[in-house]
Amino acid sequence: MITVRSLVIALTILVLGPLSANAQDVVKIGQIEAQTGANAIYGWMSSQGTALAVDEINKGGGFKVGNKTYKIQLIALDTRGEPKEATVQLKRLVEVDGAKYIFGPFLSNVFLAVRPYAGEFNGKLLMWGGATRIHDYVGTPGHEFLMRTWNWDAGKNGFGELMVDNLVKTTGAKKIAMLFQNDQGGKVLEDIYVPMFKAKGIEYRLDYFEPGTKDFSAVLAKIAAWKPDFLFPSYADSYLYDIVRQATESGQLTKFFLVRGSLGPGLKNKDGIGEYMVYVPKYFEEAEKKDPKVAKFIKSYKDFYKRDFPYDQAPLCSASCYDHVYMLVEAMKKAGTVDDPAAVRKALMSMTYDGMWRIRFDEKGEAVFNFDVVRLKKGGALEVTHINPN
Amino acid sequence: MTQLVLGQALNGAIIGAMYGIIALGITLTFGITGIVNFALGEFMMIGAYATYALADRGGLPYPVAVVPACLIAAAAGYLSNKAFFRFTRNNLVNGLLVSIGLISIFESASMLLWTATPVEMHFVLPGALRLGDIGLPKMKLVVFAVIVAVIVATYFALARTWLGRASFAYAQNPEAAMLMGVHTPRLETAVMLYSTGLAGLGGALYASLYSLEPAMGGVYVLKGMEAAILGGIGSLMGSLWGGVILGVIEGVGSIFLPTAFRDAYGLAVLVAILLFRPSGLFGDE
Repeated sequence: MITVRSLVIALTILVLGPLSANAQDVVKIGQIEAQTGANAIYGWMSSQGTALAVDEINKGGGFKVGNKTYKIQLIALDTRGEPKEATVQLKRLVEVDGAKYIFGPFLSNVFLAVRPYAGEFNGKLLMWGGATRIHDYVGTPGHEFLMRTWNWDAGKNGFGELMVDNLVKTTGAKKIAMLFQNDQGGKVLEDIYVPMFKAKGIEYRLDYFEPGTKDFSAVLAKIAAWKPDFLFPSYADSYLYDIVRQATESGQLTKFFLVRGSLGPGLKNKDGIGEYMVYVPKYFEEAEKKDPKVAKFIKSYKDFYKRDFPYDQAPLCSASCYDHVYMLVEAMKKAGTVDDPAAVRKALMSMTYDGMWRIRFDEKGEAVFNFDVVRLKKGGALEVTHINPN
Repeated sequence: MTQLVLGQALNGAIIGAMYGIIALGITLTFGITGIVNFALGEFMMIGAYATYALADRGGLPYPVAVVPACLIAAAAGYLSNKAFFRFTRNNLVNGLLVSIGLISIFESASMLLWTATPVEMHFVLPGALRLGDIGLPKMKLVVFAVIVAVIVATYFALARTWLGRASFAYAQNPEAAMLMGVHTPRLETAVMLYSTGLAGLGGALYASLYSLEPAMGGVYVLKGMEAAILGGIGSLMGSLWGGVILGVIEGVGSIFLPTAFRDAYGLAVLVAILLFRPSGLFGDE
């Protein structure tokens, strides 16, 4: 019996031994994003860049920290944009999978729901989220686990102030009509832009629409009667295509100012618009020709997903998360550890990553990086302005 | 202001007709077969994406693409009926459960196939017709005309043909209808095919006006349900009128009240009307 038991133990060690050794050499990255649902445009796109970077790193043999070579295991879960679902998933990632690095969320409502739970692991977890509401917490005591990876509109390094400056200087706009969906994202934009317009003496009006709306005729007619210089609509392409089309089709509103969303709706209606001014993290059509890193990324994207690169959509998040994975790896190397998120955070705060973007974090832990403003004119003529807050 | 109100009343009537076509599907399915199909919005989504694929990707002229798109939606409806819905007759809860399951399946399949990124078809009929200061997109007027024609044709087909009378007989007493020679399983299948095909047509028309996304069906099935209840379940012309009234209330209400709560205006009127006419405006007392 003793012989048989010894044999079983020896076999178990033989079989499980290498497995447990391998498990130690894997860095787990969890991801909580809405890959489906009404706001999937943010999460679905952002989850793509992460998977692509992870695949490239693993296929290249992994990365070395100290004497060990690590590979990355990405566990990407679909929150469907539902805060409760996201909380359960984060719990699973942290407690079951043992992930110490969490990518996401990009949605503010999801972030607000998972924040208290994630806070329990302060110092033992690093959460890389793009949500605007992270701005209110990042860098405050008890939130050392947070890094804000996207310099959305809020804050002095956010693009909102720079975009509005650019609008006023280049167009002389004095009356802006805002049209946002009646949800957390819409309220966030109101909180950011209303004080900004007030401070600059810009007259504004604000209308909300019901999420899920497809026909905007009524509200657009109301807005047109107010005769604004620019319409500042929504934050998601799922609405922008319809708003821009319906506004230009009736000829009532032809000038648009966008801080989120893509160039696609403007291009689609290029003969109806007067002007379409949009924030883009990178004007990929141009950057692909000038920057080899961007060209490589686009080629990898096409090869990996076996489909064309979505130039006219919002490739912002997919691309940025691609850089973020590489940046995290560099920080681990610099910190000399993969197991100590606090040390990795410290390394991140002191570095500048030169990928497709030149990314650094400010003293609070908010990403600062370059972006582009595209002005599309009637007929499709384009003017690109590169803005570098670094 | 008068122009604004008039413009939105006309626009609301056109949008309401879109609700009406889904309401017609609901009223036909429930009124005749006793099956509750809350997944009609998904058949609308199938029709919309099929039209987009055939017209935008396949290069077919839009009017030609609409026909196979309706057939694809009807085929999906046929399969759903054979696999699930036929077991849910006169059982509201089972119908609801099957519908929820199908909504999830169709939405996920669409997400896999088309992704969450919205797609927009090329402009079928660009430009707007101007009546003074009121601008009505030409394509919306075409959509309105097609929907009214389909609903009126359905009304006459049911009122004047043997199949229509057989359907009403089946709705009143399936056993008696069967004893009188009506092939009831076939009739049930035909109603299901027609209602899902109609939803497919609604989707095809929708695709010519709005951007498409996998979750698009959810909103329209709710509006269709409201329109069907407002018009009176079982009343074909009621479904059209229910939709139009709902659309006009939403459009005109949005001028005077915040647009953020547009959906609530229609619901408030629906509740008010049901208080006085529990079976809807055109339903049997």
